[in-house]
Amino acid sequence: MVSPLSAEATSIAVSSTRKSHTGDGTLQREQELGRFLAEVEKRALRIAEISIRDRDEAHDLVQNAMIKLARKYSDRGTDEWTPLFYRILQNGVRDWHRRQAVRNRVMVWTGRSKDEDGNYDPVAAAPDPGGRTPDEQLQNREAMLALEIAVRELPARQKEAFMLRTFEGLDVRGTAAAMGCSEGSVKTHFSRAVHSLRETLGEHWQ
Amino acid sequence: MSKADDRKKSTEDDLFVQKAREMFEDSVDSLDGQAQSRLNRSRQAALAELDSGTVSLGRWTQWAPAVGAAAVAVVAIVVLNGNPQEDPIAMPDASQAAGDFELLIAEDSFDMLEDLEFYSWLDIDALEAGESGTGADVG
Repeated sequence: MVSPLSAEATSIAVSSTRKSHTGDGTLQREQELGRFLAEVEKRALRIAEISIRDRDEAHDLVQNAMIKLARKYSDRGTDEWTPLFYRILQNGVRDWHRRQAVRNRVMVWTGRSKDEDGNYDPVAAAPDPGGRTPDEQLQNREAMLALEIAVRELPARQKEAFMLRTFEGLDVRGTAAAMGCSEGSVKTHFSRAVHSLRETLGEHWQ
Repeated sequence: MSKADDRKKSTEDDLFVQKAREMFEDSVDSLDGQAQSRLNRSRQAALAELDSGTVSLGRWTQWAPAVGAAAVAVVAIVVLNGNPQEDPIAMPDASQAAGDFELLIAEDSFDMLEDLEFYSWLDIDALEAGESGTGADVG
C-alpha cells in the first residue's frame, strides 16, 4: 500500500522530472538544430549559389530556409530536417527564378538589356581553395566552374535531383521527400542529369 | 547494349558523380571567412527564432500578476464610484454620517434622553390638541 505522503512525494518527483525534461528537451533541441544547421549551411549556400548565380541572394535564401525550419519544423524528428530544409530551400530557389523571370520581362519591356544585370563573374566569385598548389587550385576552379555552368543548363528537376543526390549526398528517398516527387522520378531525373552532364563536360573533365 | 557495356557505363557514371562530389566539397571547404561569418549569423538568427516562442510566452506571463491587480483595482473603483441613482443600496454621504455622529455625541442629546418622559408627554399633548383642532377646522 502506498501512503499518501509517499504518493505525494512521487507525484512531486514526477512533476519535477517532467519540468526538467521539458527544459532539457528545449535546450537539447536547440543544440541539435544548431548542429544540424552548422552541418548543412555551407553546402546549402553553394547549392543555392550554383542555382541562382548570386551569393548575396543565396545567403538570403539559406537564411530564410533556416528560419522557416526553426519556426515551423523544429519539433519534427531530426531525421526529417534534411529533406525539409532542402525542400524549403528549393522552393525558395524556384520562387527566386519566378521573380527573376518577371523582372527580366519588365527589363526587356523597359528597354534594359539582360547583360546590364548579368554581371556575375563566376571566376571572381569562385572560392579560394586552400592547401593546394596554384596549378591545382586553378584546375579545380576551372573544373568546378565548368560543372557549375553545365549544372545550370540542366532542366530544373534534373538540376535539383543532381545537386541533392551528389552535392548534399541525400539518398533517393530523402531526395524524393525534398523534391516532393516519387523515388522513381528522382532516379529518372538523376540518371538523365548525369548523362547530360557527362555529354556536356566531355571526356577531358573526367 | 550488353551487360558489360551497362556495367562500364554505370562505373563511369559513378566515377563522374564521385569527381563532381569531390569538386563540390572542395568549393565548400574553400568558402571564405566572410561567407562563413554570415552563415553563422544566419544560424544564430534561426536559433533565436526557435527561442522566441518561449521568450514571448515568458514575457507575457511575467506581466500577468500586474495585469490582474490592475483589473481588480479598476473593478473596485467602478463599484465604489458607481452612479448612486442606479445603486439600490445608496451609500451614506460621508459628511452626513459625520453630522449624525456629532449629533449623537453632543451633550444636549444626553439631556434629551434624561427628559424622555417629558418629551413624550409633549408629543402626546400636541397630538391631542391637533386632533381636536383639525376636527373643529374641518367640521
